[in-house]
Amino acid sequence: MSVGGVAVCIKNVSHQFGEAGDAQYVRALADTSLDIVRGELLCLIGPSGCGKSTLLNVMGGLTQPTGGTVEVAGRPLRGPRPREIAFVFQEHALFPWNTVAENVRLGMLFQGVPQAEREKRAQRSLEAVGLADFAGHYPGQLSGGMRQRAALARALSLETDILLMDEPFGALDEQTRMVLGEDLSVLLARTEKTIVFVTHSLGEAVFLADRVAVFSARPGTIKKIIRVDEPHPRKPDFVTSEKFTALRNELYELLHDEIRKAMTEPARKRDGGGGAA
Amino acid sequence: MASRSEKAQRLASRAVQIGLLLAVLVLWYLATNFWGVNRLLLPNPVAVWHQFIEVLRSGAFLPDLRVTATEFAVAFTLATSSGIMVGYFVSRSRYWVRVLEPLLAGIFSIPIILFLPLYVLFFGLGLESKIALGTTISFFPIVLATIAGFSNVDRVLVTAARSMGATNYQLFRHVLLPAALPVIMGGLRIGFTIALLSILGSETIASLAGLGHHIVELAENMDMARMFAYIVFVVLMVALLNAVVSRLEARGRRYR
Amino acid sequence: MSLARSAHPTAARPRESGDPTTDSRLRGNERTLASAKRFLLRHPGVVRLGVVILILLVWEISARWLINPLFVSPPSRVLAGLGSVLTTEGVPAALRLTFFELAVAFAISVVIGLALGLAIGLQPFARRSLLPVVLLVYGLPQITILPLFILFFGIGAASKIAFGVTHGVFPIVITVVAGVQNLKPILLTSARSMGASRWQILRWVIFPHMIPSFFAGMRLGMSGVLLGVLLAELYVSTAGIGYFTTMFTESFDPTKLFGLIGMLAAMAIVLNEIVRRAEIRFSRWR
Repeated sequence: MSVGGVAVCIKNVSHQFGEAGDAQYVRALADTSLDIVRGELLCLIGPSGCGKSTLLNVMGGLTQPTGGTVEVAGRPLRGPRPREIAFVFQEHALFPWNTVAENVRLGMLFQGVPQAEREKRAQRSLEAVGLADFAGHYPGQLSGGMRQRAALARALSLETDILLMDEPFGALDEQTRMVLGEDLSVLLARTEKTIVFVTHSLGEAVFLADRVAVFSARPGTIKKIIRVDEPHPRKPDFVTSEKFTALRNELYELLHDEIRKAMTEPARKRDGGGGAA
Repeated sequence: MASRSEKAQRLASRAVQIGLLLAVLVLWYLATNFWGVNRLLLPNPVAVWHQFIEVLRSGAFLPDLRVTATEFAVAFTLATSSGIMVGYFVSRSRYWVRVLEPLLAGIFSIPIILFLPLYVLFFGLGLESKIALGTTISFFPIVLATIAGFSNVDRVLVTAARSMGATNYQLFRHVLLPAALPVIMGGLRIGFTIALLSILGSETIASLAGLGHHIVELAENMDMARMFAYIVFVVLMVALLNAVVSRLEARGRRYR
Repeated sequence: MSLARSAHPTAARPRESGDPTTDSRLRGNERTLASAKRFLLRHPGVVRLGVVILILLVWEISARWLINPLFVSPPSRVLAGLGSVLTTEGVPAALRLTFFELAVAFAISVVIGLALGLAIGLQPFARRSLLPVVLLVYGLPQITILPLFILFFGIGAASKIAFGVTHGVFPIVITVVAGVQNLKPILLTSARSMGASRWQILRWVIFPHMIPSFFAGMRLGMSGVLLGVLLAELYVSTAGIGYFTTMFTESFDPTKLFGLIGMLAAMAIVLNEIVRRAEIRFSRWR
């Protein structure tokens, strides 16, 4: 359900942590270019430490790349643009001292959304993710899956055009991620959002994405882009289809060597660079 | 994140720390030499230094140090042996942990130094009252840490050892003890510190001998330079002891 | 775990010598015994109370018949003597003054501790430079400079408050710094991604995150203040609490001494408990 046009334009972006010669020097991204089409769901997949999260942070304006340019909605990106770009992080990005509803409202408060509007949007987005009954719970009282639904509700309530998701289901068990993936697909079929989704899971990438960008081992760059032609919302039986299996195998082929390469690097280097996962 | 700038920052931090120390010394010097601060309240740092050297050279501190050290050694030994023993036996039953642990923690939250007058009444002004108080005060953190250490051993470790056929003794020697030791060490550390402080404190408040007592005596005679010299001496001693204990503790929990 | 047996060694015995002809009355006893055992197992607080009563009983008996009454007074007599302690001229005033000193010293410690803790904790450079200094000073035996405080501030409330503050302020500073520091970076990133300003991050992220450690710090600060103020009170033997403890000791009046110290201990327990309750109340989300 492409709407057409380029939402995010990434040109020759490279990024390094530290300076050459330092112990913590890491080249996370090397000369990466990518156009993200308005309304598509793009998955970034690759070995640990290949720089896919770094690229996501660069797209969101949280990290200034050391080289290259990023344009969002036609304008060069110089910092976070909370009105246009919302994030869903891995687990634990909810404020534990606020209830679910307070968490959702807080993001809007940061952006100066008026009180009455905050209430309305919070209610709507909590209903959208099926958490309306848990509005008064603290994150610590929820399961991992529910916490990630709450984080998604918080991002949805900001009503941005672009949604960046950094391994949002990474800490969940296989079965919970399957259910959340299906729900996400249903939810996203109804919106016109542009979504970039970082994941480790081959199945998740194929199930959710319109396009999958496969990263090489570090310094990461995009090795290949695979297209998944299957309308949203995607049904559970897509997973058992031959098309799904073929795409998944193709991804596996592409990734296999890169993962081996990444794993033979010393551990310190792979973990270095604070969030270069 | 660059290590060069990191090194620069570390140097800057050191500079701030040394600057702070120098500022205190310079202010002290200026205050006593030029700003006319009463020498009876604040002695000249140079005079304090001379007294400090004098005290060290003459060995005048030895009798008081011997008293304080004896009190401390006896009290800490008593507290350690009784605390670990009681703690271990309490920890053997979950039920008794639930009965006694809150009671012990509750008593520990009272400033036990309050009971010093009772100890003085009962044991007199000599070594005994200091030993008794020091033992009481340091008993609590040690017994609480021992209980916590033994009763919070991960059940999985116990099950694993049992599955490999460990006997009761082997279980204690190879699983319970090593698992509990770091926690117990933490308790010993606290017990060590507060035993020392409470003994110095009770010497200050009511006693006939010891380093704390000597400082008070000098204060009452308004022998300020020598009093400061003694304070510096005690502070350095305690800092040294703390450093030694930290080193030992770090070695004890190396695997963590 | 053989907790039932170790707790109640007699409770399980009748069954062992089980005799089919035991009459129903004995079986009834057995049932009540078993249910009593269950009750005690479920309510360790009752047994805890029992332990306290046992200790008081041992104290009572030994103080009455075994130990020279010049040194120890039995709890019953201490309790009965509380009135006479309170009617001793000057004691109520001394207790009130001590309470006032504790409250003022605690308030000052909290204000200074929070301000210093935030100033040091929010600035990485300040933290790296100054936290070691704070820890170093905290580790020093402050008791050695108690006589100086009396020389500088006199034997009145000022010296005791000042000494209480030096004991109370450091734990608060240290826990506030730690509280600011152990904030998960993802929470800051997430707030930044939603467009929070510096002030909003302080108000909505750092501050609420710090609240539990701030209260934990206040609890430690209260212990410190109690220690500092009471040390100073006991040290000054010419006025306040110290005067009365010295007087009761020298006149071998253990009843009054126990009574006075018991009241101070009760004061300490109440103050500790207030801070502890506040801590629980404000750390609910944990």
